[in-house]
Amino acid sequence: MALTAHAEQLQSLPAEVPARKGRTKLSASARREERTGFALIAPAIAVVAVFILFPLGFCVYISLTNWPLVGPYHFIGLANYSALAHNSTFVQSVLFTLKYTAIVTLPILVIGYLLALFVRGNRFGATLFRTCIFLPFIVGITTLSFLAEVELQPGFGSANVVLSKLHILSRDTVWVQNSTLALIAISVLVVWMASGLTMMLLMAGMQGISDELYESAGVDGASWWEKERFVTIPLLRRSIALSLIISVVGSFLAFNQFYIITDGGPGTSTVSVVMEIYETFNTAMRVGGASAMAVVLIVVVGIITFVQFKVLRGEDV
Amino acid sequence: MRPRQWKSLAATAASAALVAGSALAAGSASASARSTARSAFGVNATGTVTFWARSATDGVTNALVKKFNATHPHLKIQLHLTQPNEASSQLATAIRAGDAPDLVGLNDINVPAFSREGALMNITKYVNALPYKASLSPGHMRLAQFNGKDFGVPYLADLSVLWYNPKLFKEAGISGPPKTFSAMLGDAKKIGALGHGNYGLSFAGDCQGCLGFTMLPSIWASGQHLITGPLGKQKANVARNAPLKALLNVYAQIWKDKLAPHADLAQNGTTWGDDFAKGNIGMLPGDYGFVTKYLGHMPKDEFADAPLPGMNGGPGSTFDGGDDFVIPAGAKNPSGAWEVVKWFLDIAQQKQYPALGDTPVRSDVLSPAFLKQYPYDAVALRTLKHGSVEYTLAYNEVFNAPGSPWMKMFSQAVYSHDLSGALSSGQSGIQSTLDSVGS
Repeated sequence: MALTAHAEQLQSLPAEVPARKGRTKLSASARREERTGFALIAPAIAVVAVFILFPLGFCVYISLTNWPLVGPYHFIGLANYSALAHNSTFVQSVLFTLKYTAIVTLPILVIGYLLALFVRGNRFGATLFRTCIFLPFIVGITTLSFLAEVELQPGFGSANVVLSKLHILSRDTVWVQNSTLALIAISVLVVWMASGLTMMLLMAGMQGISDELYESAGVDGASWWEKERFVTIPLLRRSIALSLIISVVGSFLAFNQFYIITDGGPGTSTVSVVMEIYETFNTAMRVGGASAMAVVLIVVVGIITFVQFKVLRGEDV
Repeated sequence: MRPRQWKSLAATAASAALVAGSALAAGSASASARSTARSAFGVNATGTVTFWARSATDGVTNALVKKFNATHPHLKIQLHLTQPNEASSQLATAIRAGDAPDLVGLNDINVPAFSREGALMNITKYVNALPYKASLSPGHMRLAQFNGKDFGVPYLADLSVLWYNPKLFKEAGISGPPKTFSAMLGDAKKIGALGHGNYGLSFAGDCQGCLGFTMLPSIWASGQHLITGPLGKQKANVARNAPLKALLNVYAQIWKDKLAPHADLAQNGTTWGDDFAKGNIGMLPGDYGFVTKYLGHMPKDEFADAPLPGMNGGPGSTFDGGDDFVIPAGAKNPSGAWEVVKWFLDIAQQKQYPALGDTPVRSDVLSPAFLKQYPYDAVALRTLKHGSVEYTLAYNEVFNAPGSPWMKMFSQAVYSHDLSGALSSGQSGIQSTLDSVGS
C-alpha cells in the first residue's frame, strides 16, 4: 500500500524540472540546500555502498578467480562463466527454475486477485478471512516446507490419505521420488503461501479506487465484469506490476522449499538455481564457480525485472 | 594500477570484509591474554583458547567446556558453536581473514580439504607422544593425515551400526544378528515371512548420506573401498568391486520382495530410525545415536546393535564419522589448544561421552564397568578399531550431494533393478567427480 501510494506521489511531481544553467550561478542558499540534501542522503549512500555495491563488486571479482574455500587462488578471467555453459547441472537448474516460475506466477496472481475481490468490501467476516489467507505467508516457506514434508509422506501423510479417499492417488504415492509430482506439490504449496501476499497488495490498490468511478460506470450501464475490466484492472496496473515482480523474483530465488522437501531429487530434477549455487559453494567448495553462477542469476533477474517494469508500467492511467 | 597491486588490494579488501564475520564469532578472544607458551607445548598453558565446534555436538561440547573452565583457572575455553552446514565455510573465512580460532572440532570428512592446503598445524610429534595413540579411532586418524603427517586427532565418534530386533529374530527362529550378506538377506526374508506388518529391513532410501554411512562399512568389512589411491590420483573402484555388487544385490532383493517398508523410498533422514521404534522392523542399518530414541521408549528385548556385516563374515565394520580436533595454522594459542585436546582425550572425560550423548574415540575406554553401564555403546566401540572411511577430497560430491553418483548408482540398482548398469554408471560417475575435484 505504501509502495503504491509512494509511486502515485512520485507521479504527481512536475514532469519538468527547470534546468540549471550552471553551478556558478547557484545562489548561496541553493548551494547550502544542495549540501544539506547531500548530507541527508549520505548515510543511505554509505549503507548501499558498503552493504550492496562492495559485496556485489567483490562477488564479481571472486567469479573471475578460481577461489576455493581453502587455499590460494588466482585470476582466471571468464573461465568460470564459459564453464557454466558446459555445466549440465547448472543449465538444468536454470531451465527448471524457469519452468517453476512459469507454473506458479499466473496462479498466484489470479488467485490473489480473486481473493482480493472477495475481501475488498467490508462484508461480514472479511477481516478474519483476510487474516487466514495471509497467515501462511507470515508462517513462512521454511516452516511450511517442513509441514509439507510430513503431509506428503506415503501411507500416513494427509495429502495421500485425502487423495486416496477421492480415488485420485494411491495412499502409497511417494511424491518426492517423482519429479512431476514433487513439482506439483511444491507449486501448490507456494501458490497457497504467496497468494495471500498478492491478495494484500491488490486489495490495498483496490481500496484506493474511488467508489465514484464504479458509480459512474454503473450509471453508464456497466456490468460487474465491465467495471472490473475497465475500472479496477487499469487502475491496479502498478499493484499488479509490483505483485508480479515480487512473485517472479521470489520464484527465481527459490531455495528452502526444494532443499527441505526434495533435496533436489529425484536425481537433480528439482535443483533450483540458488540450490545449485549453494551446493557449488558449500559441497564442492568452489567459491569462484558459485560466484559466477550468482552473477549470472543477478543479471538474469535484473533483466527480467527491467522488462516487467517496462511492459507492465506502460502508460499511466 | 598493476594487476598484482590490484590483486593485493582486492585480497586486503576481502580480508577486511571477511574479518567482520569471524571477529564476531571469535569475540574478544584475540585481544585477550594468550598463552605464555614458555613451558612445554600443551602443558600449563595460560590465556584463552577459542574453540569452534559444530552445534550438532553441543551436548558433550558444552558440558566438557564448562567442566574444563571450572577446573583450569589459568586457561579458559571460549566456545563458539557453528550452525549446521556452516562449519567449513566459517573456518575457511576465518583463516582467510587471518583470525582463525585456536581449536576446531571439524567434521572428519572435511579435514583433508584443509590439511592439503596447509591450513592446519602439523601436530605429528605431539600425536606420536600420546601414550594411547594406538587406541584412537583409526578412521578419524586416517582422515587427519596428509603426506604421512598428522593434522588432527579424533574428537568424538558418530558411528554406524546394525540395529536389530531380538524379539522378531527369536520369533523367526534366528539365533543372532547376521554376519554375512547372505545371512542378512535370509534373515530379512524370515522376518518378512512372519507377516502381521513386519518387515525384514528398513533403510533411508532417499538419503544419500545415510546410505553411504550405513552401506560403505559393509564394503570395508569385506576388504574393499570405493575410492583408492593417493590424493590427486584417486580411482573409483566400482565396476569390479565384488562386495559392492553383492551388497547392492541384497538391497535390490529386499526391495523387490517388499521386505522393506514402501515409505523408505521417501525417507530423507528427517525421521530416520523412527519406524524401527514401532517394533515391526527386523533390521535397521543406522546411526548408533538412535540409542537415545530407543532407550526408555522400547522394550529392551526389541532392540540391540551389532557391527555392520561383511560379505563373508569377519568382525564387521563401522563408519568412523564424527569430528576431529584440528589446530588452524594461524592459531594464536596452539599450546593451550593442545592442552585442551589432551584433556578431552583423557580417559576420565572419554568415559563421560556416552552420558552426554556421544561416543568416545578411544577404544581402551572399554572396561567391564563401561560395558555394563553402556552395553549398546560397547558394541559400537568394539567395532571402532575395524572402522574406516573413504579418504578423498570429493566425499561430499561423490556421496552427499543431491544427485550424487553414489545415489544414482543406488537408485538404478535397487529401485530400477539394473545392477550392471548401475555399476557401470557408478564407475564413470564417481571417477568423473574425482577428476573434476582433482582428488
